[in-house]
Amino acid sequence: MTDILAVILGTTMLYVYATSRIEGYLKILALQGALLFALVLFDFASRSVFETVFLGAEALGVKAIAIPAILFNLVRKNEVRREIEPSLPQFFSLILSSLVFAFGFIISFWARRLAAGLAPLAFGVSISIIVSGLLLVMSRKKIVTHIIGYIFVENGIFLLSLSVASEMPFIVNLGVLLDAFTAVYLFVVFSNRIQRAYDEDRINALQNLKD
Amino acid sequence: MLILFFIAPAALCLVCLAFRRRVVNRIALLGFALAYAAGAVLVLIGPAFFLLPEELRRYFDFDSLGKLFLLTLAAVNLGVSGYSLFYLANVNLSREKDTLYTISMLLFLVSMTGGILSSHLGLLWVFVEATTLTGGMLISVERGKQALEAVWKYIFICSIGVALSFIGVIVLSLGSKSIGSLFFADLYAGAGAINPFLLKLAFAFILVGFGTKMGLAPVHAWLPDTHSEAPSPVSALLSGALLNVAGVGLVRFHPIMTGAGLEPFAGTLLLVMGFLSLLVSAAYILSSENYKRMLAYSSIENMGIVAIGLGLGGPGLFAALLHMVVHSFAKSGLFLTTGNIHRLAGSKQISDAGALLNRDRKTAWLWILGFVAIAGLPPFGAFFSKYFLVGAMVSRGLAWLAVPLFLLLAIVAFGMGKSVFGMAWGRYRPRGERDFVPEGAAPAAAGRRLSVWAYLPPAFFLVLLLGLGLFIPDFVTRLITDARNAFVAVGR
Repeated sequence: MTDILAVILGTTMLYVYATSRIEGYLKILALQGALLFALVLFDFASRSVFETVFLGAEALGVKAIAIPAILFNLVRKNEVRREIEPSLPQFFSLILSSLVFAFGFIISFWARRLAAGLAPLAFGVSISIIVSGLLLVMSRKKIVTHIIGYIFVENGIFLLSLSVASEMPFIVNLGVLLDAFTAVYLFVVFSNRIQRAYDEDRINALQNLKD
Repeated sequence: MLILFFIAPAALCLVCLAFRRRVVNRIALLGFALAYAAGAVLVLIGPAFFLLPEELRRYFDFDSLGKLFLLTLAAVNLGVSGYSLFYLANVNLSREKDTLYTISMLLFLVSMTGGILSSHLGLLWVFVEATTLTGGMLISVERGKQALEAVWKYIFICSIGVALSFIGVIVLSLGSKSIGSLFFADLYAGAGAINPFLLKLAFAFILVGFGTKMGLAPVHAWLPDTHSEAPSPVSALLSGALLNVAGVGLVRFHPIMTGAGLEPFAGTLLLVMGFLSLLVSAAYILSSENYKRMLAYSSIENMGIVAIGLGLGGPGLFAALLHMVVHSFAKSGLFLTTGNIHRLAGSKQISDAGALLNRDRKTAWLWILGFVAIAGLPPFGAFFSKYFLVGAMVSRGLAWLAVPLFLLLAIVAFGMGKSVFGMAWGRYRPRGERDFVPEGAAPAAAGRRLSVWAYLPPAFFLVLLLGLGLFIPDFVTRLITDARNAFVAVGR
């Protein structure tokens, strides 16, 4: 069951590259949060009740509801609907992300031999999510998309830490929460003001500082 | 001790928040800097006394490395807090902003202290993350289009770096299942049992992550922008203290690699990144038109030197540690001086800041001497760290590396020297006017007087550097040697 969930999670990243609608990205963020929540629940046996509640709250409350809702609100308010003129054409990025996804499977086959107590499929998929999140940051121009890409990376890391699971100390969970905090912080503080300071909310506008 | 370093500043933040008065902020900032320095000295001379339970205490390690950088941080912070009096008196922040500045300063200090002292990899990571958040608050104090851009780049690039280093932590914990702990002491002891492939992977991620924070090329992108746009005292703190925190993280991680017999792998990566940093800074420093950017590239250069020392290991580690300390003082002093220059010239362009000697003699000399100190000319400490670095290269049988090192260092020194001396002795040329302006025809700004707080802190750093250069105090050598030995012995 965990494996199926992990694969679905990986597949959502393909949809990200197939669409250019920012609201589409946000729906995927919410979906990923829900899937991570389900993963946490299925892994219940290996964790204490307290940890399960904490991680579950993090996945459902923060990742599936709070962050997408805040972003949705801001996107609506600022009327940024689409990612236009990406640095990399849509088609290529879709192919690239498919390759990354396939690469994740290769890693998982090979990770099976690597260490005991590892969920290989989740491990491989998490790596592919992290890589494609970084790709999104690199290939798109809107600030909102950059933030979303960062959150994808974070979701990948969350899955990674779940897959390594069993003996990971509590401090790791703490780290994940701190990351989510960063993303929200980024957004609330900046996009509000960046919108006012710059006419365009594209990263292109951030090019005054250079040599 | 932990109460002083962690709980007291939190309490002070609450006090500042409650009063929101400028006077209270100043007293909190300066008073705490003094208390902090006293605490660091106390840690050095006496057995640190603790009131907290054992359980909490084991997460913090007052070893020689910790003590050394605690002292450095305390000194840098003392200077920066002193300079803040001048800065805040001139910048006209609103009362809320003023309080925000004070609070962020205190929290930034807490997170850096935590990073220096943590004896647990996970905790170290949390503190490095915390420095990103609190540092971002500090940089954005003066709002403006460019400051906004600088903060954005700082937070975004660093948070991706921090995320990558977190992957390193996860991978390491996967590889070290048999150890079952992320305390550095346990990791050193069991380094041989860690899966070598996963350890290599973990090191690569951590190097990229902490390297981002430390400003190593090719992941240095945020550093020039942020350092040039942040307020001067903040730039000083970023360059003089924050870069060290990531450096200390790498120093603490490195023995795990040595212990697992992977030192060549780690050394190669560090050397590559180190020389790449030198190359990048040499390339950009020549064409830099903004004096704060120029200093930022110099920071990249110096962190490159530290990485090279770390990569050489053994005697190179001594050079790296000494260089980190020396660079902290020199760069803090220089960045604080840029605050004076900015005040005098009203611009960050090198071309607008000519004829400094005519405008303000003291600032000009601080600027020149600061450059002499950072370039590693003999009376100052940086000379010796570079000297030891070359010694380490020779002892490793890599003496040929000294050739590119000297070449790149010479280019950087030339590029910086050209601008620094040009600013000090050169003519003042108003922007847009390319006509000859006779020497001595300084602008109206010459009449501005700077307060004593503008000169004292940079001078304080120069005195420290001179002390380190002329006669390295015994306790400093002992600390660095102890730290080096501890980390080299652990690796055996």
